[in-house]
Amino acid sequence: MRPSRHPRWLLGLAGFALAWGVVCPEADAQSGRGRARAKPPASAKAKEAGPEDEIDRMIREAWDESKIKPSRVAPDSEFMRRAYLDLLGRIPNIREATAFLESKEPAKRAKLVDYLLEHPDYAQNFANQWSVLLIGRNRQERTVDRVALKTWLRRQFAENKPWNEVARELIVAKGSNKQNGAVNFTLAHLEFEKVPLTSITTRVFLGQQIQCTQCHDHPSNDWKQADFWGINAFFKGLKPPKPIPRTDENGATVEDEYELIEERTDAYSTFERRNAEIRIVFPTFLDGKKISQDADVDRRESLGNFITDKSNRDFSKAFVNRIWGHLMGRGFVHPLDDFGPHNPPSHPELLDKLGDEFIAGGYDIKALIRRIASTQTYNLTSATIPNNEKDETLFSHMTLKPMNPEQLFDSLLMATSAQKAGGTGDNDRLRADWYRQFEFAFSTDEGDEGSSFQGTIPQALMMMNGDLMAKAVGGKSGSFLGDLKERAALQNEASADAYIVNQLYLAALGRTPTPKEMSMGRGFLGNFPDTIAVMEDMFWALLNSNEFILNR
Amino acid sequence: MGGSDRLIVPSGMSRRHFMGHLATSAMALPAIQFAGALQTNAQQAARNQKHCIVLWMSGGPSHLDLWDLKPDSPKGNGGPFKPIATSAQGVQISEHLPTVAKQMKHLSIIRSLDSKEGNHDRGTYMMHTGWAPNPTVVHAGFGSVCSYELGSKLDKFDLPHCISINSPGQSAGFLGMGHSPFMVQNPTAPVANLRPPAGVDADRMGRRFEMLKLVENNFASQRRGQAAIDHRSVYDKTFRMMSSRHTKSLSLDSETDAVKERYGKNSFGAGCLMARKLVETGVTYVEVSLGGWDTHQNAFETLSERLMPELDKGMGALVEDLAASGMLENTMVVWMGEFGRTPRINQDGGRDHWSRSWSMVMGGGGLKGGQVIGSTDADGVDVTDRPVGVMDVIATMTKTMGINLATEYTTPRGRPMKVVDGGAPIKELI
Repeated sequence: MRPSRHPRWLLGLAGFALAWGVVCPEADAQSGRGRARAKPPASAKAKEAGPEDEIDRMIREAWDESKIKPSRVAPDSEFMRRAYLDLLGRIPNIREATAFLESKEPAKRAKLVDYLLEHPDYAQNFANQWSVLLIGRNRQERTVDRVALKTWLRRQFAENKPWNEVARELIVAKGSNKQNGAVNFTLAHLEFEKVPLTSITTRVFLGQQIQCTQCHDHPSNDWKQADFWGINAFFKGLKPPKPIPRTDENGATVEDEYELIEERTDAYSTFERRNAEIRIVFPTFLDGKKISQDADVDRRESLGNFITDKSNRDFSKAFVNRIWGHLMGRGFVHPLDDFGPHNPPSHPELLDKLGDEFIAGGYDIKALIRRIASTQTYNLTSATIPNNEKDETLFSHMTLKPMNPEQLFDSLLMATSAQKAGGTGDNDRLRADWYRQFEFAFSTDEGDEGSSFQGTIPQALMMMNGDLMAKAVGGKSGSFLGDLKERAALQNEASADAYIVNQLYLAALGRTPTPKEMSMGRGFLGNFPDTIAVMEDMFWALLNSNEFILNR
Repeated sequence: MGGSDRLIVPSGMSRRHFMGHLATSAMALPAIQFAGALQTNAQQAARNQKHCIVLWMSGGPSHLDLWDLKPDSPKGNGGPFKPIATSAQGVQISEHLPTVAKQMKHLSIIRSLDSKEGNHDRGTYMMHTGWAPNPTVVHAGFGSVCSYELGSKLDKFDLPHCISINSPGQSAGFLGMGHSPFMVQNPTAPVANLRPPAGVDADRMGRRFEMLKLVENNFASQRRGQAAIDHRSVYDKTFRMMSSRHTKSLSLDSETDAVKERYGKNSFGAGCLMARKLVETGVTYVEVSLGGWDTHQNAFETLSERLMPELDKGMGALVEDLAASGMLENTMVVWMGEFGRTPRINQDGGRDHWSRSWSMVMGGGGLKGGQVIGSTDADGVDVTDRPVGVMDVIATMTKTMGINLATEYTTPRGRPMKVVDGGAPIKELI
């Protein structure tokens, strides 16, 4: 037989692209207007009864100036899923979602944020995000112990250590990379005369991209080549990682622990001007502060003090901007780590104010998150109205945040209990497999907080046809879908199908289905005898949808 | 987070606008009608289009043992291999490349490359982009430039325009993930995830997409912004790829054993064969990697017993077939690694990293074959004639592909970035 031109599984798809269709603009505009008129939900109204929040006031003034109107306040389901993803790095499970949506408690959103900040997954999530920021996602040198760094970070976030202390320890840490996880940050960037360490230190802690000035003065701001090498000189005493050998249970010598050693020095950095003139520079902070050139000074201690000093507003603003960007999908300064006169903030007074508050409050990370999450601004929906759909900088609506690989993995696990179906509880190993698969599908930029589902063919193929997805939507007994089918059988017969559709939407999207979605879902379940296969297909569709992968 | 979307498209067209275009055009036609139109377009495109195949020798190949032999080196740098004559008048290469020797009339050797970079990662980055790595910007690999400049202008083609076989290839940098290499990890096995899992047949796949459409449309209709629409357009593109008959060229199943044998039954040979099929189908840029060239010890055994025979078969058969079918006229073939190896043979019978005077090979796509550009001294240490820099190579490749040498992008951080900066095409080849 002559093989068909198209694989058989595709024949059913003939109408797919046609039926997918293009969204009708009129219908859209109408529903947009409808939403603009809609009254805010009760919880938002209650908020408005009190005095207007200072952040919200400043944000509103910028809207008024630009004649922009805000979107409405997000429904509870949207807010809940957002808060879980932003704070815990994963979507809520059915139980968590139902509990929140059904709660009639006053101020339940604020209570949810408090609850999430105390949840163990909060520290885990922030440790994950920060380890990517500090050492990237794919780094595999023997001398860098990712697990130790993550464990250390998790402890800092769980204890809510003030940010200035966390940052200072990352900058000055010495000793064994197993005993002191913070050391791994420096160990990861030692190569090439500490140029990478110089650039990431200023980028992550001060939001400044002075690395351009490695080779030339900055074309559009005040950074000079000497600034880069002045910071670089603080790192002159760092030595290559020294192995700490140990003997394993079989008597063999193992080298899996490394020590970061710093010698006191009086060395300077040299650099070449574009006119080939060679200059030298001793440790000098960006504001011109110098330290003694004697060989008995701990230079990194001094740098850590300079960076985290209360008088250094750049340090607090850089962190505030990053947290704002994390929650709102966009920083006041954007990209988040590119401060400078060439890239002014969208709301300079607000950024100053939040930065100063952060210093005055003792660099309290959870307090900062709570503060931003309680604003009306954070509570807005991502659905735009015609008046504000072009706004990208004024926070008139929430910005869609595509999940990063960590969030995607943890959310898939949460939605599907995939690790249970796989017969292993070893999440770390599964997670490592997942990242390996996504290594090329996702951005290769190290520590790029933009690494997320950006829509490439390999990413989509992996989501559609990959192992983890197949496992996730598998309906074997003991799996999420298997359990769901058993629970549905306990419902009365008339409502079993509705129960299934409802639970699938809650598990994947944290919301109940629309009437249209419900009737279509029930239709499928009623029309096909193999219930579990329909459940698998429906769950596949939900987990592959834009609504699943985009944090709205 | 949101910043990753801010990719800049030249000529004043925002990416948003650009993606919008793609989405609309893709959505407007039913799937089957698409497939028909695509076949004609692709065949048309394959005739007029330029292609590039890069044979990437990861680890730093030994130019002195392949392309620039010095059997009479006064310092004894020559090594054990003998030069042989080739189909190019007066051009000799190593005795362990007999098949390639027959094709040298189509290919030219550059023997005077000075890349100034002896670190594997940095050298790899440089040879793929023309630029030294820089923490402020990730430059685009040449394959991604080809995909962006040439491939995306043929947007009704349903395979990626930058494909990398056996290795991940170079990132698209500021050109964005949409132009990153599509990686074929193993050309002798089915491409990962290209087919639905077992048990999911046409009916079920149709049901899945019908349900997906419902959820996606519901969400997009709420004016959630561009990301929601982009998502749909990528799924559409992926669906088109899955359903394309061109995916045939991502499999060697239909090739006879004799053909596979001629290319070599190993991942490089299979990759070369797949590369030929892919450019015939209409893919713009294909890179095939052969690793293991970092021969610090016992180099000559490794070279003569494994690396060079594999290279010889794959590269020889590829050029021969492209020439025979006429495809070589519009397909540039480039052979290179991240650097060469020291002229001096070390105490372990190997050669170390060397970037001062090394060789690469290019031909096809309209380039003059049978030439030798530049030369090194009797010991292979210094360039004695016609030094060539990395940007000159990128400029030559850019020009050969018909891409404007003045092409300049603005990176997401607002920095202007040229494809070719400070280099000039090698005029002897053009």
